[in-house]
Amino acid sequence: MKKILFVLVMASMLLAACGGSGQVSSNEKVTLRFWTHTNNAFNAGYDALITAYQTEHPNVTITRESFEYDLYLQTLQTAMPAGEEADIIQLFGTWTSQYFERLAPVPAEVMSVEKAKELFYAAPVGGFIVNGALYGFPQEFNCEYGGVLVNKTMFLAAGVTYPPQWKTMDDVVADGRKLVQKDASGMMSVAGFHFTSADPIAFSFLAGIKQRGGDYWNTDHTGFTFNTPQAKAQLEWMVNAVQSGIIDPMIFNDATNPVIDAFFTNKAAIGYIGAWAIAEGKTNFPDFTDEWDYIYLPPIQGKPVFVADSGWGLTVSPNSKNQNVAWDFIKFATTDPKNALSWNLASGTIPAMPEVAKSAEIAAQEPWVAKALDILPDGEYLGNMPDRDLVMYEIIYPRILEAMQGVSSVNDALATIDTEANSTFK
Amino acid sequence: MNLRRKKEKRSKGGLTIAKRRFVLGITIPLLLYESLGIFVIGWAFVLMFYKYSSGRLGGPILGLGGTNPFVGIDNFIEMFSGKSVEANLFRVSLKNTLIFALAVLPLNLMITLPLAYLLESIGERFKAFYRTIYFLPVLTSSVGVALIWLSMYDPQAGWINAIIRLFGGTPVSWLSDPRAGFAGVSVAMWAVILAYLWQDYGYNMVIFIAALQCVPQELKDTAMIDGANRWQTFTKITVPLIRPTMLFVCVMTMLSSFQVFDIIQVMTNGDPGNQTQVLMLDIYKNAFRYQQLGWAAAESFILFLLVMGVTIFQMRLLRTEWEY
Repeated sequence: MKKILFVLVMASMLLAACGGSGQVSSNEKVTLRFWTHTNNAFNAGYDALITAYQTEHPNVTITRESFEYDLYLQTLQTAMPAGEEADIIQLFGTWTSQYFERLAPVPAEVMSVEKAKELFYAAPVGGFIVNGALYGFPQEFNCEYGGVLVNKTMFLAAGVTYPPQWKTMDDVVADGRKLVQKDASGMMSVAGFHFTSADPIAFSFLAGIKQRGGDYWNTDHTGFTFNTPQAKAQLEWMVNAVQSGIIDPMIFNDATNPVIDAFFTNKAAIGYIGAWAIAEGKTNFPDFTDEWDYIYLPPIQGKPVFVADSGWGLTVSPNSKNQNVAWDFIKFATTDPKNALSWNLASGTIPAMPEVAKSAEIAAQEPWVAKALDILPDGEYLGNMPDRDLVMYEIIYPRILEAMQGVSSVNDALATIDTEANSTFK
Repeated sequence: MNLRRKKEKRSKGGLTIAKRRFVLGITIPLLLYESLGIFVIGWAFVLMFYKYSSGRLGGPILGLGGTNPFVGIDNFIEMFSGKSVEANLFRVSLKNTLIFALAVLPLNLMITLPLAYLLESIGERFKAFYRTIYFLPVLTSSVGVALIWLSMYDPQAGWINAIIRLFGGTPVSWLSDPRAGFAGVSVAMWAVILAYLWQDYGYNMVIFIAALQCVPQELKDTAMIDGANRWQTFTKITVPLIRPTMLFVCVMTMLSSFQVFDIIQVMTNGDPGNQTQVLMLDIYKNAFRYQQLGWAAAESFILFLLVMGVTIFQMRLLRTEWEY
């Protein structure tokens, strides 16, 4: 009898040791793979966090691998069905609705949805919540709305008031007109106000609809409503701004002279772009010597309501054998204000946590975040679209650009956007 | 006697075993290799009947079914009669691919055949030099070629517009103006075609040179004696004799034109207004950017049918009853 009992106890211990829940003792060696996309500033922040975590947990080794953006997407799409993905996956929050079936939900003991909503701004955390479940933690507020790079040197050379005293968007357009430069052949060499790249077009269009009291979602979020009076008013304003001569959309668009390239090569005086461009611009354009700043635009009307993507954050693979350790690292990296702060400072991004965004360190080192503090609470999550990239980059951007270029009318552009965007629900 | 027969038998047996081993050694790896290829093609064939995305779990068998539902031939019906953005883009891409291929083939032949003829007629000392010069772009990477042409087409700093300015002309936004066109085709498409021709013409030229070298001099001399001039000799003697080579060049050029991808992705990524969006680029975007693998597989099948159809048509049109 004793023998049988002994065998049963040993067997149960053995089974417990082999259990797949990923429970590990503090001394057990754990190696985690961590995938990110290639962004030097982001990855420097991750490496610092990995070092800090490994110091606290000497038994854990985290190996980070990075991929160029396009390759990263392909790698995720091929590795996930094969179950070969890394334990920790950097994911753009808005993509979560497309990948959630292949992600591990955040365990309740790690954090509840309600707690996450309290901890983070609504827009960044919104993307990581699908069907009421939380699938990861955001690290940045991906605010493509409202921020502009301004070239002080060009303002002063053109005799335009600096810093800008913009009360309305019409003031911005007026300054933009004064800042335009053309070469001897009449071709625009410097855009006064460059907002005709994909993100500024899409996000200013969506924010304009909201600020004018409309919405691009139907009531139950099962379809889009782009052919509305508010959308028409916003698109007409955008087309009129272009026709006033602040920019030539033939020369300045995503294919030729996107905002970041144009601004840091002295081809745009005001460039509408997310704050991520600050760190990237400093890194990629070391020869740019003009004085510049990053400021926020006034709303088109009323409150500065806007929509934003859920930015980059961290998720865990359901195939990971060490999910608990992976979540522990992610919680350490994203929810501890000190660690979240270190990553935001390294990456030059707007923090996803209000507590971090309001910190003295951010105010000192990322002054543009302090300027955005008033509008960030007004940021709403873009919404879980069936295919966000398709809607934003193959429908909204090209159709609006065509209207700006005079290839189609405002009414035709809106009708096409409405039809094509709704077709993505099928 | 018996001993000799036994030895012969043994040696024959040894040879047979060695042959069998050799055949097995070659066949098994080949079969394995081929089965991989067949699996990939088979998988693509299956996918085109599903609304399949790699982001979704789908059913228990290879992720098919469930959230990756079976849609039968709906993908194909949608392609040719639907109003979705994917369907619109497919039709635009198909049209652009045909424009690209139908423009590239005659232009390529118009450049490469005369150039090869010219090169054949110059002195031996310079032949190798010119052949190398003209063949160099073929050896250059497509991305490199695309970047060079991209910089030349730059509306503000490119040297093509610089020359236009020098002569007092109006600069053109070569790759980004959707309104500019020539002969019903956008300027951006012409710009891409030119870059592609520049990179590709050396390949066909070398093939034509090889073919021209095989045309017997006696036939040309006889024609000359009979009173034919150089043009007549070229059109009545040389061209018919190199018809099999022309067939090969036409088929290969068409194939590569239908599959053009990298140069367009780098130069325009389908812009302006999808005027340079070709099928391969659309397939790539659907598969890897928008994760619509089922749709992308269906598009690939259409491309396959298109390439096969055009190839058969060309082979029937240019086939000869004889080969020189």
